[in-house]
Amino acid sequence: MEYLVFVIRKLAGGIPLVLGVTLISFTLMVYFGPDQTYELLSKNPTAEEIAQVRSELGYDQPFWIRYSDYLVDLVTLDFGYSNATGERVAGILARTVPISMALLAPGFVLGNVLGIALGLLAAWHRGGWVDKAIMGFAVVGMSISFLVVIIAFQVLFGVVLDWFPVRGWNVHDLSSYLYYVTVPTLASVFVALGYNTRFFRAVLVEEMTRDHVRTARAFGAAPAVILWRGVLMNAMIPIITRIMFSIPLIVISGSLLIETYFGIPGVGKVTFDAITSGDQPVLKAVVGLTAIGFVLILITNDILYKWVDPRISLTRESAA
Amino acid sequence: MSLPEIDLGAGADARLEPADRLRRRSPWSRAAGRFSTDRAAVTGLVVVTVFFVVALGVWLGWWGGNWAETGGGQWQSPSAENWLGTTILGQDIFARAVYSTRTAFEIGLVVAISSTLLGGLFGAISGYFAHSPVDAAILWLKGVLDSIPFYLFVAAVAFALDGQPFAMHIAMIATFWTTTARLVRGEVIKLKRLEFVEAARSVGLATPRIIARHIVPNTFHILLVQATIVFVAAIKSEVILSFLGLGVQDGVSWGLMIAESTTEVIAGRYWNFIAASSFMFVLVMGFNLFADGLQDALDPKRAGR
Repeated sequence: MEYLVFVIRKLAGGIPLVLGVTLISFTLMVYFGPDQTYELLSKNPTAEEIAQVRSELGYDQPFWIRYSDYLVDLVTLDFGYSNATGERVAGILARTVPISMALLAPGFVLGNVLGIALGLLAAWHRGGWVDKAIMGFAVVGMSISFLVVIIAFQVLFGVVLDWFPVRGWNVHDLSSYLYYVTVPTLASVFVALGYNTRFFRAVLVEEMTRDHVRTARAFGAAPAVILWRGVLMNAMIPIITRIMFSIPLIVISGSLLIETYFGIPGVGKVTFDAITSGDQPVLKAVVGLTAIGFVLILITNDILYKWVDPRISLTRESAA
Repeated sequence: MSLPEIDLGAGADARLEPADRLRRRSPWSRAAGRFSTDRAAVTGLVVVTVFFVVALGVWLGWWGGNWAETGGGQWQSPSAENWLGTTILGQDIFARAVYSTRTAFEIGLVVAISSTLLGGLFGAISGYFAHSPVDAAILWLKGVLDSIPFYLFVAAVAFALDGQPFAMHIAMIATFWTTTARLVRGEVIKLKRLEFVEAARSVGLATPRIIARHIVPNTFHILLVQATIVFVAAIKSEVILSFLGLGVQDGVSWGLMIAESTTEVIAGRYWNFIAASSFMFVLVMGFNLFADGLQDALDPKRAGR
């Protein structure tokens, strides 16, 4: 019951955010976006034909009518058909989102798990050569552009060593999945590790300097026990926050670059193509659903807080 | 309004002297002292300065002006004439990489300065009027901008502005100010409870004056560190945006060079790629070390962490 009230109140609180995101993106991407009228017309169209296409695309409606139509689409989760291919938008998303998930999940999990592991190692040996080596590696990782890493790994594994494909996505079983997913995963783990390790180390060092950890050390508790129960579990809140909030950005922004570069037909590439061609139904769907995803993540985040720290109350505003 | 003068009698000057010396050792000079003992940070500063001189030289027309000349042969290897070889059009890759340093500084400085000003302003306002409708509106705007995927936002701004060369800058400024504003807001909420702000209020200073003269100067350390971080983020984003065709529209940049090299590396022609990515790596690495050192020097609590 406590959870239900909390979720409903949070959902209501997320409405202004969703309205803001949809309004700004609608204004930018749809109202000022590319005009598709002439792409859908034959050569030398008559005035009636132009007017007809414009009314089919909804261009002749005033701004607020078009925006409220969009909100109706969002509430009913029905975004109609793509202007470019005529395919149902829901069908496009059902086809491309799983590809992006399969593409990004291994890199996302490995990037965070290895980041936490390296952060723990560095924090435990704070000031020593292990710490310095790990942090040096992290700064180097932070200083290399994602694009440069992608190109370097593609050339190394795809051209020089010739172990993995240069580009493409032709997955039908586990071995073909591993064949296509390895190079993009290595690239995203490499880039994520720099930032993640530094962040996790800072959080863990903060926790490691507390009195209870010093006491546990003084009593001779095993390092693994101290690190797991004394440090990692207590640092869970900032860790969860960071991981949760990186999800929506990874799904769209991260997939966009990898998918464009490797020619993988995921949701990032479809969205980018939709922006450049002005395929409004697809854009509306992706942007609106991302905003809703953000609100859902905010809620999940607060529930996870309570789960890792039972002292947190969901009913008080200060806790939420 | 001046304080009444107190006659300290003979020896007042001598007693004032240590206090005077203490005053001269401001937090900033102590930070400079800490910074100068940090070897990595000083190295970073030297690297950034060298790149800045290179950019300034391009701007003044001392070097790099021949970046568009198509004199040399196609895809030449490095030689005495073309230090890093030539492109498909026979342009000197070294000159292009040097000229791109100017592009990088232009983007980095414009975006870093503008987004820091914007973030400082909005952060100070929303912190000073915390929990008021103004604060709620600014927080809402931050939340909204943070929830729109960055590359989609840039692409949308680029198209909405219809090929304007500054579309990329505007999009970056519009998204990068939010972190600065969040940090400044937190600091201002802390500051406004302190005695000196209360004193300023009690002598009847106007609110805008309190914010501008007494609060904002005390957030400069945050603004400085954030500006260096945004500078790096802007240079790194430029590369990806230029690859996607949303970045630099005319001239040359490391991003355009890397974008150009994506088809060349498959054919084993690496010089364009190596030149652009190593120039960029050295500058970004230098800036990261500099920013780290700055952060440690300005926040003694963080040093050694």
